[in-house]
Amino acid sequence: MRVAAIVLLISGSLSAANRDFDRVVSTIESHYGVKRTKIPMMGVVNLVAKFSRPAGASEVHIATFDNLPQGYGEGNDFERLFNSLSTRDLQPMVQVHSRGNGASTYIAGGEAGKSARLLIVTLGRSEATVVEAKVSLELLQKIIENPEHAGKDFGW
Amino acid sequence: MRLTVIMMAASMTALWAQQVRLPANLEKLSEKAEESVSVTLDGNMLKLVSRLDHDADNARKVIAGLDGVYVRSFKFAQPGEFAPADVEALRNQLPSPAWSKIVGVRARNEDDVDVYFKDGGNGKLTGIVIIIVRPNELTYVSLTGTIAPEQLADLGGHFHIPDLDLPFGERRRKEAR
Repeated sequence: MRVAAIVLLISGSLSAANRDFDRVVSTIESHYGVKRTKIPMMGVVNLVAKFSRPAGASEVHIATFDNLPQGYGEGNDFERLFNSLSTRDLQPMVQVHSRGNGASTYIAGGEAGKSARLLIVTLGRSEATVVEAKVSLELLQKIIENPEHAGKDFGW
Repeated sequence: MRLTVIMMAASMTALWAQQVRLPANLEKLSEKAEESVSVTLDGNMLKLVSRLDHDADNARKVIAGLDGVYVRSFKFAQPGEFAPADVEALRNQLPSPAWSKIVGVRARNEDDVDVYFKDGGNGKLTGIVIIIVRPNELTYVSLTGTIAPEQLADLGGHFHIPDLDLPFGERRRKEAR
């Protein structure tokens, strides 16, 4: 009985994470009228990501967009969109905008037991990457202190 | 669908705005800034962050007493991108007697630091706002919760809160040695 309850709790938590990731990806798709980039052998890519993820990260989900309208990240449009995606368990935490390279990073976070769950969106001029992952407190600290490098932590 | 997104966005923006109301002219600075950073930590995330293995235990203790941390900073390509009136509008959001300006530092390194405390009664502070002005940089820090003035220096270097050379913080550090 106890085992069943634990399994249910874990699967519930995992499916909530998947739901948030899928919600973000599908919202970007519908809002900007684009589709995430189909990467041949995405299964292999995800498998590689699983083993090459930064120390302290697990349950990593990645989606990329490379066909967004030019200048889509300018102004407050994406910021409003990102904030609209927050839930009680996943709240906007950090935003960094750099005019020099036209990059922006949006990070939302939530508690996941003794770890944290992060949703990181990095925007380029016409591309974006969405990552959802469970991270250790050490990695959370690193990402909060250097949010502009959050993407590099996950290898892009 | 788009209407739903907009309505959700409006409600979330309103929720966020309840915590900190930055003057509109300040938000517009992000369009001119070379780099802007916004950090908002509250509720569960703050509890989580308070468990982080900070190099100084003091920082952890300070964070544990906070309800919210909000940091907004702008870096500009060159001096003169924002006007004194922009900063004044920020200061005007902190009227006395609710807020008291405790420290006004005009440092040799061109930093202009203002620290405001909000008295919660019973000798306790319930809020601290720090405004740091440099020729090409503007930083606004808002802390809500229970905090002692001398603990302020312990937060420097964390969550994009600049290291502050405050007289009482320095004294505390010396006492700790």
